Amino acid sequence: MRHRLVLGAACLVLSALAAGAQTYRAPRTPDGVPDLQGFWTNLTYTPFERPRELAAKPFYTEQEAIDFFNRSIAGAQDQIVHYVNGDFGATPVQTGARPNRRTSLVMDPADGRIPPLTPEAQKRQQVLIAADKARGPLARTWRDDRGTVWCVFHDRAVPSVVAPYGSNYHIVQSKDWIVMTYEWNTERRVIALDGRPHAPASVRSYAGDSRGRWEGDTLVVETTNFTPKRTFLGQPGTPPAVDASPALTLVERFTRTADDTLVHTYTVTDAATWTRPWTVELPMHRIKGPMLEYACNENNQDGFAALKNARLEEAGKLAPLEPMRRGDAKAAITQHEESGAAKVIGADDEKK
Amino acid sequence: MRQTTVAALAGAVLVVVLLPAAGEGQGAGQGYTAPRTKSGQPDLNGFWQALNTAHWDLEAHDAAAGPILQLGAAYAVPPGLGVVIGGPIPYKPDALAMKKKYAANALKEDGEIKCYLPGVPRVMYMPYPLQIVQSTEFILMMSEFATAQRTINMMTNDRPPADTWMGWSNGRWEGETLVIDSRGFLGSTIGALDPEGAINVRFLDRAGNYHTDGLHVVERIRRTGPDHLSYEATIEDPNVYTRPWTISMPLYRRVEPNMQLGEFKCEEFVSDLVYGKYQKGTGQ
Repeated sequence: MRHRLVLGAACLVLSALAAGAQTYRAPRTPDGVPDLQGFWTNLTYTPFERPRELAAKPFYTEQEAIDFFNRSIAGAQDQIVHYVNGDFGATPVQTGARPNRRTSLVMDPADGRIPPLTPEAQKRQQVLIAADKARGPLARTWRDDRGTVWCVFHDRAVPSVVAPYGSNYHIVQSKDWIVMTYEWNTERRVIALDGRPHAPASVRSYAGDSRGRWEGDTLVVETTNFTPKRTFLGQPGTPPAVDASPALTLVERFTRTADDTLVHTYTVTDAATWTRPWTVELPMHRIKGPMLEYACNENNQDGFAALKNARLEEAGKLAPLEPMRRGDAKAAITQHEESGAAKVIGADDEKK
Repeated sequence: MRQTTVAALAGAVLVVVLLPAAGEGQGAGQGYTAPRTKSGQPDLNGFWQALNTAHWDLEAHDAAAGPILQLGAAYAVPPGLGVVIGGPIPYKPDALAMKKKYAANALKEDGEIKCYLPGVPRVMYMPYPLQIVQSTEFILMMSEFATAQRTINMMTNDRPPADTWMGWSNGRWEGETLVIDSRGFLGSTIGALDPEGAINVRFLDRAGNYHTDGLHVVERIRRTGPDHLSYEATIEDPNVYTRPWTISMPLYRRVEPNMQLGEFKCEEFVSDLVYGKYQKGTGQ
């Protein structure tokens, strides 16, 4: 299997995703627009920001992409964690991730890194950091996690910052609406396609107010009206969290480039926060449904335990954690290759 | 001849009048043919909402004081004739006793208070808009409340892969009517670590009417006009009821041209309530 992957690598040169987009024509819905429906994942090992040593190398060769992917599988299995992700069917390998030729998800600026904050945004961020420090290590209330563990809103969902597992979507289209349900916390985006204006500026929400339109085969979605209660970025693998200004605008483009691939790019613009706009490309791969209910708030044992254990620890009564476990890296790679899933993103499009 | 016709008509009118109030939705709009989607199915797309007191109590009930003294008239219970066809609900004797117990303990037992997913059929008649987005393969029913969502599988007829709060729904078209068969419901927070968040049963309304994990619901939904749906649900749970029973009501279209689902993330509003005793300060 590994042998075959190496052979496939030889004929790949450029950004295959872009090449594929030019030749493939997406199937149509009964309403005559491109059909983006189905179950998709954007799970990936590709880092959000590019490592500095790869600043001038936006793409791996196909073989490099496979090697990076395999190293990542091994790394994920070797992590020392409280539990082994694999026990929960929760590693990117098990849930549809594929090697990606990009060396970072951020594709603009050219160095693959989020642009610097404006001086004013740096001040806002310092306020956040100081507040975090003041809280100390033990959770005091649910607000200390900014709501994520408490199932209020999962910051990874909009704009998408890829979760370590469960980063799955179910897309359903009607004539005037497209619904993208994200598995984590069932973060649901109900996008109007009927040309209506945005909600009044005073109406604010965690997921923002989204309006979509078709530009050829591409669905363009503009989202505004984000609530000041939320922050942006600040997830593992992304720059630290920052408050955005009320002007933050997210423009996303969804293009189906193959039967099993949707390319999702998005540009975040907020001149009061970042010194220039930045753009991310996330390939989405078709996965088998169904996608089950997340039900985060119902019986939220993580959140409950975080508070209860914090109080116990303060009282000097906390029992030690269970011994930690390691996964089997070699077995995980073999399993992945045997399943035939180690196809490099974009490789097929290039060959067509 | 003419007289006979008039008499027959009067009889027909009388029959209609004598139908229980809860059954009204079935007669009205019987001959209506719904507009079709491009793929040829009756078009249920849009925003719908119940306009009745099922949310407070499915059964016929008088007005009553609300659960919190300080909220006065604002949270009092409005009166209603009930939506149960041939009501009351056919509880087994011991289940009826439990209902009264749960009702008395509603502040602890009612999942609505904790922002838990409301389940079926409750999500259909809560006082929040419900958006239907319809494709050939799936029909989504999305409530504003707690981002609750139902995915109706139209092309498959699988058994529930797991028990969930909103259940597993398979749908089919019978002419003008969407028939949905739902099973696989969780009946409680079994195994909850957290005593504050635990609930023992799932409420169907604020009055303590409830079901367990034995729930099976068959719904029939049909357009009866441009802005009306007829909604009927037959509810079965051998743990609680002596026989299946049926609720019936119209759902009304929210006709505002700028209608959309708002974001009602009620987890924000309940975490201090449910977990307050484990918290330290307000953290704000």
